[in-house]
Amino acid sequence: SWSLFFLVSVVWVVLVCLLFCSRLLSVGAAPICTNAQAGCHALSLANLFDRVIQHSARMHGISNDLHSEFEQYFLPSKNQIGRVSRNCHTSTIFTPNGKENAQRMARQELTEVILKLLVAWRDPLWHFHQSIAHHHDFNNFSANKALEMSDMVHELRKGVEKVAEKMQMMGIISNSVSSLASPEALLPSDSAEWRLMKDYDLLYCFRRDSNKVQNYLKILKCRIVPEHGC
Amino acid sequence: MYPGPTSPVNRLHKSVSSVRSSGSRQWTQHGQNTEGETESFCQLKARLCGATMKKVLEVILLLLLLVVTHAKGTRYSPPGKPALTRCRSPEKETFTCWWEPGSDGGLPTTYALYYRKESSDTVFECPDYRTAGENSCFFNKNDTSIWVNYNITVVATNALGRTFSDPVDIDVVYIVKPNPPEQVAVTVMEDKGWPFIRVSWEPPHKADTRSGWITLIYEIRVKLEEENDWEMHLAGQQKMFNIFSLRSGGKYLVQVRCKPDHGYWSEWSPSSYVKVPDYFHREKSVWILITVFCAFIFLILTWLLHMNSRSLKHFLLPPVPGPKIKGFDKQLLKNGKSEEVFSALVATDFPPKSSNYEDLLVEYLEVYIPEEQELMLEKSMDLDVGCLKCEGSASDSDSGRGSCDSHTLLMHKCDGVKEEEERQAKEARRHQKDWKEEASTYAHVDVSPDMSSGRVKTWPSVFSPLPRYTSNQQGSLEMAKQHYLSDSLFPTSSTSSYHTQPGHGTTEAHGPGYWECGLSNKQPHLLHPQAQAQRQLQARSDDNISSIGRKQTPAGLHSPARRSTEYVEVERVNEEDMVLLQPVSGRCGDVEGYPEMPYGEDYSKVKGVDMDNMLLLQREVREETENCDTSSTVTTTQKPAACIHSAMPVEGEMVLGVNGYVDTATVCTPPTY
Repeated sequence: SWSLFFLVSVVWVVLVCLLFCSRLLSVGAAPICTNAQAGCHALSLANLFDRVIQHSARMHGISNDLHSEFEQYFLPSKNQIGRVSRNCHTSTIFTPNGKENAQRMARQELTEVILKLLVAWRDPLWHFHQSIAHHHDFNNFSANKALEMSDMVHELRKGVEKVAEKMQMMGIISNSVSSLASPEALLPSDSAEWRLMKDYDLLYCFRRDSNKVQNYLKILKCRIVPEHGC
Repeated sequence: MYPGPTSPVNRLHKSVSSVRSSGSRQWTQHGQNTEGETESFCQLKARLCGATMKKVLEVILLLLLLVVTHAKGTRYSPPGKPALTRCRSPEKETFTCWWEPGSDGGLPTTYALYYRKESSDTVFECPDYRTAGENSCFFNKNDTSIWVNYNITVVATNALGRTFSDPVDIDVVYIVKPNPPEQVAVTVMEDKGWPFIRVSWEPPHKADTRSGWITLIYEIRVKLEEENDWEMHLAGQQKMFNIFSLRSGGKYLVQVRCKPDHGYWSEWSPSSYVKVPDYFHREKSVWILITVFCAFIFLILTWLLHMNSRSLKHFLLPPVPGPKIKGFDKQLLKNGKSEEVFSALVATDFPPKSSNYEDLLVEYLEVYIPEEQELMLEKSMDLDVGCLKCEGSASDSDSGRGSCDSHTLLMHKCDGVKEEEERQAKEARRHQKDWKEEASTYAHVDVSPDMSSGRVKTWPSVFSPLPRYTSNQQGSLEMAKQHYLSDSLFPTSSTSSYHTQPGHGTTEAHGPGYWECGLSNKQPHLLHPQAQAQRQLQARSDDNISSIGRKQTPAGLHSPARRSTEYVEVERVNEEDMVLLQPVSGRCGDVEGYPEMPYGEDYSKVKGVDMDNMLLLQREVREETENCDTSSTVTTTQKPAACIHSAMPVEGEMVLGVNGYVDTATVCTPPTY
């Protein structure tokens, strides 16, 4: 009877595991369907937008925290002349700096701007994390945040690309979002400019750029799918 | 860089220097003219004096002015340093900066705000000083750039100078403070009888949340009108909120505010008042019901406890069991009458007075004598004739012998009449005593020290049926079941008078020669034949007495060894009214062991009872070929010589009177006595 009991319990455990795993798999790796294929879980555009907006919000939050920490440690004198002439490496990318400008911009253009920004920040953030990790002044908490930030940029870029795909699929934007192919093409000459920036300035610039991304995404969302929370 | 107003002192200096310079010029000019004309020197002098005089007068006037101001008491100074207090944007499209002016230095001071944008050196002045009020600068949409760093400075200027404030860097995104939410509506609604407040609002009209440009989150606070503590609720991005757990009949104040993702909280909206209706009694009634219910249950429990208090007490504290004696009355003990108390302990029915004496009868008697005692008896026979004393060893109480064992029936060695008399007297006394004791245990040993031990047993119960039988009898007939000692060694086989108990009349009368013993009361039929037998005995005994007497003596000497006490039991009564005796079973061996079988005469039969209550024994000749069958032994009636004993009627009587046993030894005393 002991062997029978063992068998039954093993079978039961296996069944439970299968059920559980199938559930997990079904939730996690649902690909975004193109052309409404059968068998895939099609997320709506609104949901996609919500996800990327949340992601960008979180990214901006982390950058804000890190910037505050930097200000505590490395508070620059307020009358520093050089501060005024700060120049982010992404300043070459034309970004709308007003509501009207942003609303006037086409969806596609706006999407491209977002992607450009995200692409431009991938390498600098990684190096920023490296420098922070090796710097003895910073604790592990800050280093982890920097790492998370750099990862988030990567993930957010993928997400926005997916949104762009979806929009393309839906016909909202035309299929000329060409920023996906080569990130280095966006920054032709000034690729090394960010290396000259100090950490603090880098953080300052990224904090602003992440805010831009978040805001642009919201504008896009409320322009394309206004029925959800706009 | 900035053109500043010239101070009066500088002007004075300038004028003086201009005077000097003009003077010098004129001097040089005059020098050149000295060659031609001597007559204009005086004219020149006069002109010079006039110009100088003008300048001097100006200076003097200015100096006087200074002196006058000093004489008034105020001190003019350049303006104090202004400070930018805050810059705020209500909707992330415009913004306003406010500053705090310093001291004005006593002179009218003007303020100007200048700003520079990021990565540009162009200085701009504030476009609008009025819209936002005093000491403010309003930047409209055209002048506002988001995500652009502004460097702003305020300059205070008065007659004596200008003062710059500390520059401030701002980014419009981070200085957003929206207006309070608008259209705050508070309503009381009901949910299954319980009221709640629903608060709804709208975002400030300037903030553009619809296009996603700004995202606002809201917060609500509530308090009762008379209290001071607010209850805060964070509502997120929703524009409606419910508040529960209200006090009935209370008046509440509700306020709402909002905040962008990264920015400042707005001001609280103006208070909205709301009154909650009364639902007080419903709430209270429930409590009243509950209280009543609990009280009821409590009462029931108390009553139950009271009813079962005793059993509960027993359950918790079990009582210690006390001693209990049947029939013991505690109350009597408490009263103190001990005699009555203990009277209950006295068993009144002990010993049991059962009148059923027949139960106590035993049918069988057993007699045996150990060998050593036989020897003793033999030795002691030299002197005694006819009297044998048998002493048995100490016998056990009831080792398989019948209850008819009685040491009184044993033959005793007769040392003398006196001894016998004593013995008989003792026996009599003992028997009497036994008779009185109503011994139901007829098998118990009652051994007097001088008596033969053990084997003799008393069974006074034997005599118990006597009263019954006597009632049926006539005259002196006794139904005594007595064992008679068969003694063939009686020298004088004279009839011995056996007396039964005096109170019970005469001795028993048996059939001619037959003894009877231990018969139960089931044989009442023996009465009559015995009565007849008795007369017959009497009738016949007279004849044989003499014959018996003659023959007894040699017989007694002949077989001295025959001194064993043998108990014979009556088997039955045959048709001739003869009591058939039955020899004791198992005694055949003993009988054989006897060296000398008693041949010939055997005085074990009662022939009759004479007038004097004397049993007349019948001598009997035993044959050799006596059958030892225990079942039946028929002893024919012969005509042996009866043991006539006439010498000891009194003793016999005495003896018999006591216990009814016949002791042949005593009866048949040798004539030597």
